[in-house]
Amino acid sequence: MTKNTVLDRRACLKGIGVTLALPLLDSIGWAENSGGKPARPPVRLGFMYMPHGVIMDQFWPAGPEKFLTEPPPAIEALRPVLNQCLMVKGISGVPIKPFNGAPHALELSTWLTATLPNADHRNKIDIAISADQIAANHVGGFTSLPSLELATMPQTHKENQEGLNEGYYSHCSFRSPTQAVPAEINPRNVLNRLFGKADKPGTAPRHDPLDRGMLDLVIGGARDLRKKLPQDDRHKLDEYLDSVRAVERRIASIENRQKDAALEKAGVGPSRRNASDSAPIEIKIPVGDKRSEYMRVMCDLNVLAFQTDTTRVSTYIGSTPNGVTYPELGLGEHHSFTHHQNKAETKAKVAAITAFNISQFAHMVIRMAKIKEGDGTLLDNCIMMWGSGLEDGNDHTRDNLPFIIAGGGGGSLKTGRFITTKGNQGDLLTTLLACMGVPLDRPIGIATKTIKEMMNG
Amino acid sequence: MIFLNRILTTSFLVAAVIGLSFGGASIVLAGDEDAVTPGQRAAILKTFRDEVTPFLKAYCTECHGDKNQKKGDVSFASVFGRPGAGEFRRQWQSTLVNVKDHSMPPEDAAKQPADEERRKFVEWIPKVKYLNPKDPGAFVIRRLNKTEYGNTLRDLLGVDPSVARELPDEVPGEGYLNTLSPLQTEQYLLIANEALNRALGPGDGPATDRWKQLFGAPPASGADPRAAAKNAARSLTRSAYRRPATDEEIEVLLSVFDLARENKLDHPASLRLMLKAILVSPQFLFITPAKEPPANQSIAPLDDYQLASRLSYFLWSTMPDAELSALADRGKLNDPAILRAQVKRMLLDKRSQALFDGFGAQWLGISGLREKRFDPAKFPEMTPALRTAMYDEARLFFDSIIRENRGILDFINGDHTFVNESLAKIYGLQEKISGPQMRRVRIKDANRGGILSMPATLAMTSFPERTSPVKRGAWVLEQLLGEHIPPAPPNVPALEKQDKNKIANLTLRQRTELHRTNSVCANCHKIMDPIGFGLENFDAIGRWRVKDESGGDIDARGELPGGKKFSSPKELKAIIAGRKDDLARNLAEKLLAYALCRQLEGYDQIVVDRLLENLGKDDDRMQTLITEVVTSYPFTHRRIK
Repeated sequence: MTKNTVLDRRACLKGIGVTLALPLLDSIGWAENSGGKPARPPVRLGFMYMPHGVIMDQFWPAGPEKFLTEPPPAIEALRPVLNQCLMVKGISGVPIKPFNGAPHALELSTWLTATLPNADHRNKIDIAISADQIAANHVGGFTSLPSLELATMPQTHKENQEGLNEGYYSHCSFRSPTQAVPAEINPRNVLNRLFGKADKPGTAPRHDPLDRGMLDLVIGGARDLRKKLPQDDRHKLDEYLDSVRAVERRIASIENRQKDAALEKAGVGPSRRNASDSAPIEIKIPVGDKRSEYMRVMCDLNVLAFQTDTTRVSTYIGSTPNGVTYPELGLGEHHSFTHHQNKAETKAKVAAITAFNISQFAHMVIRMAKIKEGDGTLLDNCIMMWGSGLEDGNDHTRDNLPFIIAGGGGGSLKTGRFITTKGNQGDLLTTLLACMGVPLDRPIGIATKTIKEMMNG
Repeated sequence: MIFLNRILTTSFLVAAVIGLSFGGASIVLAGDEDAVTPGQRAAILKTFRDEVTPFLKAYCTECHGDKNQKKGDVSFASVFGRPGAGEFRRQWQSTLVNVKDHSMPPEDAAKQPADEERRKFVEWIPKVKYLNPKDPGAFVIRRLNKTEYGNTLRDLLGVDPSVARELPDEVPGEGYLNTLSPLQTEQYLLIANEALNRALGPGDGPATDRWKQLFGAPPASGADPRAAAKNAARSLTRSAYRRPATDEEIEVLLSVFDLARENKLDHPASLRLMLKAILVSPQFLFITPAKEPPANQSIAPLDDYQLASRLSYFLWSTMPDAELSALADRGKLNDPAILRAQVKRMLLDKRSQALFDGFGAQWLGISGLREKRFDPAKFPEMTPALRTAMYDEARLFFDSIIRENRGILDFINGDHTFVNESLAKIYGLQEKISGPQMRRVRIKDANRGGILSMPATLAMTSFPERTSPVKRGAWVLEQLLGEHIPPAPPNVPALEKQDKNKIANLTLRQRTELHRTNSVCANCHKIMDPIGFGLENFDAIGRWRVKDESGGDIDARGELPGGKKFSSPKELKAIIAGRKDDLARNLAEKLLAYALCRQLEGYDQIVVDRLLENLGKDDDRMQTLITEVVTSYPFTHRRIK
């Protein structure tokens, strides 16, 4: 990497105790999918999760006509962007038989797969590729990172309900039926790796210029080893080599971006990028362990990653089903409250936790609504879904999965509405991918259709 | 934080192995694990078809016959085609116990087997293990976990293992560990850069000692730099790949060296890029075999290099040292006497502390203690320093039992422990102990001593603000005795949500006993809770007390199924210690699973039984247990196909 990567438009982000130069933000805005097409912003897809369900009478709107004027208490924080939101009631989760004793392992792992784990190999990860990873397979090649996975808790919970692999308890993204995608939980790591090294602003070469060539040789060199290994071993080796290949591609993509920016600056060759009118958003790395700040900085990183077209797919496990507490609300462990036995006092606590989570989501999408992109805003081009894998945590039901979508999906979604329909989790995911323009060779999980009422045209 | 990729989830319900009998004639198994001939195996299978299957269908499958609705977690729906399969192991064990003591079929069942039928059925079950052909299991290549990776960089480059701290923590379980997101794989590249910077410095000065140690002396002027690079590649890979590299592997590294030279890097910088390539190679990050397996075999002994690595990562969580590597080079490790001597040497080395961080802490369930939060208003003394002292106490205690080669019952009965000033206060020790240094003390109070009454385990099985007799009971049953407790059914309120007025004046024990008024709960809680009551004299951070939070007197009396009664922690400990066979089996199984990095299967039961037999002959000593694991068939062999 050379000095000419330091460009005029490079922005400085201020954080608490840290000033961050962002060499990768030398140009922001999105890249063309392929040369020659008219510049139209890409559609981005983001998911944010909360476990254990909601208090239904606090979450579902009283009726379609009341959605905009008298939104239910749980989504109050979304009021400024309600006309860009869509709520759909009547989407059921995957029936969990034969895993009736594992509602919490399944609420998360079926959320983006709409598929049950393989009951014959329950101690291994064996489920299905998740919707976010299907999307990443389709659009991931255009960005330096195919997809971004975030969480706020280590994915190391060791409960194994119904003999299911522990991984099901804390993962919702699956790159293949047998590969759970781990999430990043340290905001500083995300910031450093996506946007540059924090302690040496603008000067530290992120990668040795020969790293790509070196990795290429390493991957090629593993071929002989591969031949010597039994089948199971090859599979493990391939997983690793695939991820090394992804790193190599990512470095290539970063290099290309920097080359383009340099040429553009030198006045040689036209820009292939579409500038955004908004400066990159500010990231503050929280110093304490306040839950709202932690959840929010992850939201901000998601916004920044979409704004800078670093990735077009993100999945954010706001909290996993085990052990999250809310000291800011004066509340202990989330799960224990959700078995509220219909006691008003306990239900109020669950409602407060839900509203707290949705307000973090609201923070994220409202930020997106303020970022200009093309003729509209970043949010216009996003499909952001907040949701839970249970409807009622007290009884572990999932007849009407609670979720809310924000963003126009590039004009594909009919927003500003609350509708009631009949469908399942697979239908919903299939619909979202259709809105994003992702061709599917088969429906997602238990899906049988797309939900036309959600879509424009 | 320590998290492991190793698997620690096995447990059998315990069953004494009943003498084998085939058609009436008793066969005593000789020392050879292969004592069962194909003919005998066929006989066991025939009995299964002719006698066991009709029994199951007559008395069991009406309730336990649905594949999806497993009543009491037991179903015989798919057992008929393959009674020996690993997934039925635990179920056979509980079936044996329940049918033998007439708990099953239940009293109100329509039909009861005749005594003779019951006897034959019960006698057959222990033979299930002989249905599986001898099998060491697969030894699938595996990526080093975070701890192992950090330690290996330390031993290879002399850097602090914390260089790996930004890697994600890992959860035990198959299929998970080997998945990395691209961001995390990139982390390996960044860590390799960082480790090289720390080990080698900027690299533009004269060669340092570390440099010479890694790459050899700089080539003399006029010498062929590529030949020097080739020598360096050979010696670096011998350590980093933990086996000799193949010629092809050396060529790959030389092509990296060439790439650097073509891009005008000088000789040292080119060698450095080559070392970086080694550090991101799968041969470094995975434990890989040295040789292609023989084409015509399905099972092969591990080659010496693989065995050295398996042993070293088991006991030390790091790469083999010079002595172990030299033995591997000389092909000596397949000699059981040499292997035993190495185990002894390695256990006495301080690196064997890794066995506690990796295995012991997981077995005792205290891996998360340093991160566990307690109510600061109720327990202001529970500082990070005190939590660390508690963890260290357990570590030093575990370590002393291994190092002094004590019997496993000392885990329950041990009369010594390790404390510093703040921990001595938790124990209420009278003698003067000052400062943060941990030191060994003798325990005179018989209610104390051993892991049942150790602050680390007591605190870990408590809630942030109070004790949990249920958690403590479950911990003893699952972690120590290897029993399986099904999770609580949904819709059961935890204690907090009981009617406040009704419980206002009850002690925690009395409230907990409400579990047993509900028949859904009673089944498990009548076993779990009494054990926890026996430990109620210890508060949520392990201090002795005579009154609980409600001000009521502690009642530490209890009775276990089978009529064993106790009235103090001391008597409870004696009862647990009386279940030595269960303790030993559970510990042996967990340790074997950890060593093999896989769950145990049906074919492993013969191995475990033999191991326990040998262990018993040597007073259940810890070093013997570990040596038996290392010299066992599945540890020293692998299935190839």
